[in-house]
Formats: sequence, structure tokens, C-alpha cells
Amino acid sequence: MSDVLKQSLDLSIFWEYRAILLQGLIFNVLVFVCSASVALSVGLGAALLRVNRFWPMRWIGTLHVEVFRNAPDYIMLVWVHFVLPLLIGLLIRRRVEFHPFVSAVTALGLVYSGYFAEAFRAGIQAIPQGNLDAGRAFGMSERLILWRITLPQVVRRMLPEALNLFISMFKATTIVSLIAVPDLMYNVSMVIQQEMRPLPLYTGAALTYFLIIFALSSGVRVFGERWRRKILA
Amino acid sequence: MRVFAPKPSVPISMSDVPSIRIAGIHKSFGPLEVLRGVSFDVHRGSVVSVIGASGSGKSTLLRCVNYLETPNAGEIYIDGEPLGTCVDARGQSRPRSLGEINTMRRELGVVFQQFNLWPHMTVLGNVIEAPIRVRKVSRKEAVEYGEECLRRVKLLDKADEYPARLSGGQQQRAAIARALAMRPKAMLFDEATSSLDPELTDEVLGVMRELAADGTTMIVVTHEMNFAHEVSDRVIFLHQGLIEEEGPPADLFGAPKSERLRQFLSKYRK
Ligand SMILES: Nc1ncnc2c1ncn2[C@@H]1O[C@H](COP(=O)(O)OP(=O)(O)OP(=O)(O)O)[C@@H](O)[C@H]1O
Ligand SMILES: [Mg+2]
Repeated sequence: MSDVLKQSLDLSIFWEYRAILLQGLIFNVLVFVCSASVALSVGLGAALLRVNRFWPMRWIGTLHVEVFRNAPDYIMLVWVHFVLPLLIGLLIRRRVEFHPFVSAVTALGLVYSGYFAEAFRAGIQAIPQGNLDAGRAFGMSERLILWRITLPQVVRRMLPEALNLFISMFKATTIVSLIAVPDLMYNVSMVIQQEMRPLPLYTGAALTYFLIIFALSSGVRVFGERWRRKILA
Repeated sequence: MRVFAPKPSVPISMSDVPSIRIAGIHKSFGPLEVLRGVSFDVHRGSVVSVIGASGSGKSTLLRCVNYLETPNAGEIYIDGEPLGTCVDARGQSRPRSLGEINTMRRELGVVFQQFNLWPHMTVLGNVIEAPIRVRKVSRKEAVEYGEECLRRVKLLDKADEYPARLSGGQQQRAAIARALAMRPKAMLFDEATSSLDPELTDEVLGVMRELAADGTTMIVVTHEMNFAHEVSDRVIFLHQGLIEEEGPPADLFGAPKSERLRQFLSKYRK
């Protein structure tokens, strides 16, 4: 094996820069947690609109889902970061700029809210009517029924799909480096500019993402299945 | 020492107020007139059975009694109080809000044909849910009374089991306990045994018999003619959304007057 090849396969450089790379990874996690919260709450809101009794509400919910689910996250990110502030600026006649972190969370949160809305909606519609009738018959308010009867079942039902969405979402956090959020990929690129050794650094980043996602999703799957199976016959 | 005046006695008319009064209920779904003016009273401690062919409107009637379906006309009175309307300070009647209806309908315990237990809660969890969240009793009190209700339906040993792990009969008994736990003024049963295997029917009917013997006010929609015969104080035969015949079970089953009831009963004699 040539020395060049050996040197380029040597992952120890990845370890040398662990402090700065870990810092980047923390940003990935932060973006993930924040945009997942946005996606879950906005998604639930859109799903509730989609099952609303009044058609204008349903229509708004559907529009939301179709717009955001069909927008590539890359384009959404660029649009939210560079175009949205311009539009808002024109509207309020002042210069507006978004912090890259805010743009990243908004863009990813919105795109995935479309997917989560669909998962929530399917789960809500799968609850047998009789389950809700039982709640009403005992004098439970619609809100109580939503929180105590509908959502706990929906969450269990949509767990496998939600897990896949969370995984895609975590992977998608890597594109935030495009708008200079100092995440792992961003920091890797910085180090590469200094060291000129893309192979071990990119490979190290890939392995890091792989290990994290693999470990977490396996854990959630095992734990989640046990919890889910209790209620299924 | 003060002399107390004797307590005013309860006005005699009070005891005449039926526990549930069903007054001229009409209900249509689009062009389909399902109920065309049904009226009867259920007195405290009595059992009224409703029988009739499939599609005659029995379930719809029961769902109207607690406003799971809003009647198009007519009214339900619970202890003399109209369920769907109330009279405001100026003496004008207005429809009740959903919140007010919720307050009224908790007085009625409902048992459905499909049990409708909440699958993500244990049996005890199902039983204490509404008492805690709706009646706002403490958790401790709810658990104590919930366990007593489970004992009544002989299901205390399954308190921590999830519904999916129970037989149909056990699920239905859990559903009965759940309704009892709300300390309702009356119980409504909609074909509580129709989705059960014959072996499991008896255990549920047994529980219902005991409730009746304990003086529970009940409206029972059923296809179990023997049960209706033995347990009811009054039987209502519904035909195409109208009461075709009603009376004490001995009369209805012993000497049916209408041809339709005779035909209907003959199907069960075989
Ligand atoms: N929500 C609804 N929308 C439209 N039609 C309905 C609805 N609920 C009931 N119906 C119709 O009303 C009629 C009476 O139904 P209902 O369930 O009250 O009959 P039932 O006497 O309980 O019959 P069964 O013995 O089969 O339970 C049926 O023709 C049914 O299709
Ligand atoms: Mg029915």
C-alpha cells in the first residue's frame, strides 16, 4: 500500500479535531431537537385542521401539507434564509435578517411538519368512532378526548413512521452548513480547508452519523415496540 | 333549647318525576326518518327493555337519550330536567351548550355493543378515567370505588390487564364497571351481548341481572328475549321508528296484540 493511501485512510486526524467536531455535532442535535419540536407541533396543528368539521379549515390543512411536503428541504432552507427575510423586509420596510440557526429550524421544521401532519392524520382517523363516543358519553370534553383518548393512541400507532421521519430529519440537519450553521459538516469542511485531507474527515463524519442514528433508532425501536404491543391484540 | 320545625316533606310530585323521560323524539339522517316520535318514561329503579327488528331505530334512540345524536324534535328529561335545553333567567328556553350537555350526560352510564374500551389504558385505568377527569374525584377515591365496581362485575383480578388481553365477555364486564364508576343515575345498554359468543353472553347477562336486582335504573336494548322477559318491568317494541306496542313483559310476550310483534317474536321462538 502506498504511503499516500495509508495516510489518507488514517482516521486519527478525525480524533485530533474531536473538540471542534463535537461542538459541530452538538449543533446538529440542537437543530434536530428544535426543528423536531416545530415539526411535531405544527404537524399536529395541521392534522387537526385536516380532520376539522369545517371545510375551509380542512382546506388550509391540506394546503399546508401539500406545500411543505413537496418542497425539497434544501430549497426550503435557502428560501427561508435568503428570500423570506427580503419579503418580510419589504412588508415592514425595514432590513430583516434571520440568524442561520433560526432559518435552519424554521425550514426543517416546516418541511417535516407536512410529513408529521400526514402521520398524525392517519393515526387520528384510525381511532374507532366508538372509542370517542365512549368518552363523550361519560361527559368528557372534546379537548379531554383529544389529549386522553385520541393522541395517546395516535402516538403509539405512528411510532414506526415517526421514527423513520426522525431519522430523515436528523440526516437532513447536515444541510444546515449551507447557511453557515456551524454543525459537524460545516466544521469538517473548515478542517479540510486547513488539512487538505478530505477522505478521513468525510469518512469519519459519515461513520459518526451512522453510529449515532443506528444506536438511537435501534434503542427506540426495541423500547417502542414493547410499549406499543401492550395495546395491540 | 330551640325547637326545630319538622322538615318539610318531599313534595309528592317528586316521586312521580321519572328518572328518564323520553318525549316525542324524532330523528332523521338526511331523508331517512329513523325515529318518528317516541315517548316513554323510565322510573327510578325500573328496567325498560327495548326490542325490535334490526334497523328499527333502537341504537339511534339510545344515542338520542344522551345526545350522542341530537334529536330533530322532542326532548329528553333526566330527573325532570331537560337535557338539550335550559331556561335562562328571563324564563326563555335556549339550547344547552356542549359543555352543559356534557355535565348532564355524565349522569347516564352507557354500555356499547362493541365495548369501546380505551385500548391504551388498563382495565382499572379505563374505570377511573372519567371519575378523575370529569367528576374530579381524587385518584385514591376513584381507585377505591373503581375496584368496588370491578368486584361487582367479578373482574377485580384483571384490573391491571390491557383490554386486548381480555375475552369479549371480560371486556364487556369491564365496560359495565367503567359506566358504574361514574355513579350514574341510570344505565343504558345497547345490545351489550350481541357481539359475544353464546358462552360469554351469560356472564354479561348475569351481571346485568344483578344490577337490575340491586335497583339500578336501566334501559336495555336487547335481542335476548328471555332476559327481557325475566328482568324488565316494561318492554317497548319499536317498529320503524315508532312504538308499536308496550307494556309489562308478561303481556307483550304472553299475549302480543299487534301482528308485527307476533311475527317478530315468532323468529325467536324457533
Ligand atoms: N349516523 C347515521 N347516519 C345515517 N344513517 C344512520 C346513522 N345511524 C343509523 N342510521 C340508520 O338508521 C336506521 C336505524 O339504525 P339503528 O342503528 O338505530 O337500528 P337498530 O334498531 O339499532 O338496529 P340493530 O338491531 O341492527 O342494531 C338504519 O337504517 C341505519 O342505517
Ligand atoms: Mg343497534
